[in-house]
Formats: sequence, C-alpha cells, structure tokens
Amino acid sequence: MNIKIIGLGGVGSILIERLCRFLNYSQVDTSFVVTLIDGDEYEDKNLERQEFTRLGDKAEIKANDLKIKYLNLNIDYIIDYINTDTISRGISEKDIVFLCVDNHKTRMVVSNYCKTLNDVILISGGNELTDGNVQIYIRKGGVDITPDLCAYHSEIATPTDRSPDEMSCEELSKSEPQLYFTNLSVATIMCWAYYNVVVQQNIDASEIYFDMSRMSVDAKTRIVK
Amino acid sequence: MPIYSKVELENMNVKNQLKPMAVKMGLPGYSKKTKAVVISAILEKQGAAKAAKAPKSATASIAPAAAKKAMNAIEFCATSVLTKPSAKKGDKCTTTIRVSSGASSGNFPVAGRSVAEVAEFLREVLNIQKMSPGLVNGKDVEGTYILKDGDELEFLKPAGSKG
Repeated sequence: MNIKIIGLGGVGSILIERLCRFLNYSQVDTSFVVTLIDGDEYEDKNLERQEFTRLGDKAEIKANDLKIKYLNLNIDYIIDYINTDTISRGISEKDIVFLCVDNHKTRMVVSNYCKTLNDVILISGGNELTDGNVQIYIRKGGVDITPDLCAYHSEIATPTDRSPDEMSCEELSKSEPQLYFTNLSVATIMCWAYYNVVVQQNIDASEIYFDMSRMSVDAKTRIVK
Repeated sequence: MPIYSKVELENMNVKNQLKPMAVKMGLPGYSKKTKAVVISAILEKQGAAKAAKAPKSATASIAPAAAKKAMNAIEFCATSVLTKPSAKKGDKCTTTIRVSSGASSGNFPVAGRSVAEVAEFLREVLNIQKMSPGLVNGKDVEGTYILKDGDELEFLKPAGSKG
C-alpha cells in the first residue's frame, strides 16, 4: 500500500498536512510511501487558500516541508500533471489515491485508469463556491465495490473542461473564485472517507455531499452499475 | 420456558430479567430497547411458541410457514405526516417519501406524484438543478415514474469541479 495525493491546490495542500499528521502519529505501519503529485507552481495569487511556505514547485516544496515535520513517514514527490501519458507513473496496484484536482478531465482519466487495476482505493473531492462532494471508488480483486467516479456523473464521464497541461497561460491565470472554508470542508470529508474506509474498513457510503450555505451534509450509498 | 402474562412481565426488571429472557428466547437486538418494546416482543414470541405447540386445526393450514418459523424482528423505516386532521381514524396521515439533492433532503408527501412533478415542485426547496436525473431507490428512472410508498428519490447533483 502506498498513498498518492494528486493535486496540491486549495484542497490538496490542506489535506496533506492533516493526513500526514494522522499517519505520522497513529499506530499504523509507516513502511509505505506518501507521494505528492502536481505540475503546478505556487504563486502569490494562491496565498488566500493554499498552504505553502515559499514560491516554486508545489510538490517539491510541500514534500520537503513535510519530511522535516513528520520523520516517521517516507515522503516523495513527482512534478508533473496527471494525464493519459503520465498516469501509469503516478498510480499503481494497491494504492490509496487522494484526487484533489480542479478539473473533471483529470478525474475521468484517473477513474478510468483505476478501473483497469485490481486493487485500488480512490477518494476524489471537488467543490464549487460554497458546496461540493467527495466520491469513494473502491476496487478489490478486479471488482468494483463502489461505483467509479463516472458511473453517476456524466459531467465527469464526458468532461467539457480540460486538464491544466492542455490550457494556455492566459486560461490558467483566469480562475473562478473559491473559498478557503469550502476547500477545507472537502479536505476534511476526504479525511473522513480515509478514516472510515481504510482504518475502520467501513464502506457504507460512496458519495458525500456538503453545502456550507445550508450547513448540511448528506452521505449516499450507490449501487454499482 | 414458562409462559408469562403481560402483568407478570411488567413486574419484572427490564435489565436483569426481561432482556436476558429475550436473548434466551432467540430475540436479538433488544439490548437498547425500552421495557414496553421488550415485553411486546416476548409476548409475541410466546404467542408464536404456543401456536406452534397447539394441535393442528383448520386455520393452521392457512399459514404453515409462519407457524414453522416465528418472526423475530422487522426492520423498516416509514414516515408519515398529519395532513387531514379532521378525517376519520386511519386516514389522517399521509406517507412521506425522502427526497434529496446533494446535501439537501427532506420527507415530503409526494407518493402518487411523478418524478418530474416533484422536481418542479421542490426545485427551490432542495436546490434541484434543471435536467438533473432522478434515481428511485438508487436506480435511474424516467420523469414519468410515479412514486410509491417506500420509495426514496434522489436528484443527482453534479460533482464539484474545482479544488
């Protein structure tokens, strides 16, 4: 078992700190590797939502900071975006994957790739301004235990957006407004998912929605199609 | 095991006598139930045991399966609301159906309505998006599907795109 965190933006940069603290101090076997994957650089404009100590490659900066803080963990990084060409380098059998990207194209690529593996746990989060969801895709012995990311979400199965490596600098510089608290909610629910699925071996829910403006959370159990 | 009357059972201690008795009688899941619920289950079980021991009669042949295996417990969820307070007893309440969209949900008296009607009616209440597909008990349905008692309806909300 190894842990992969894909995307170190508003959700990923918050999630990784909490997850590493839990892993470092809990009584779990820490022989696994935690790998941070992102091709993006941290810039001043990310300051209000993302947790980094300096400018530069997000994966490298965060991995080096975490290595100093959490000495029990083996932390590695890959400076690259995940797409159909790079995904086999990023995800392997028996991985636990935290998908924290900001586009459905990458979600579709990762979900479809996980469907080709025998054993994998994929926890994917996404948000809009004040609401969002977390999906849990579990595959065991080559069989889907919970639905993949595309099964109930046509917007992921046939995405209209593009991954960051397909976008121009101008497109990348334009981003829709997001709230730190919403990113924090997604990261927190992804931690719930990890704790329930991996630590407690409880897979009652496969999708969790939250809405900050309505102060509500609802977990759904979905049938594998 | 001796047969107790309701009064005898009511005079017993729920923790030390009734709950251990329920376990001995093969009634699981009563450790956190109230005294009244445990007594009712024991009486029901005693009744079933009596019926099983009783000599065969004309009525025994009507439900042989029930006599062979007593029902221990029923697990179900039903919600109803008082919609017709002035109606006669038994017609005062309407069964409600759980309808959800994303993190928003509620129980509404929509049995007998089509999925499309419910989407229109609850669009603002549950923040249902236009063209949002409906799932009844987890399965895809058309907008023309008529909701029945016991159904659970979800309008799929798109996944969050940012992160």
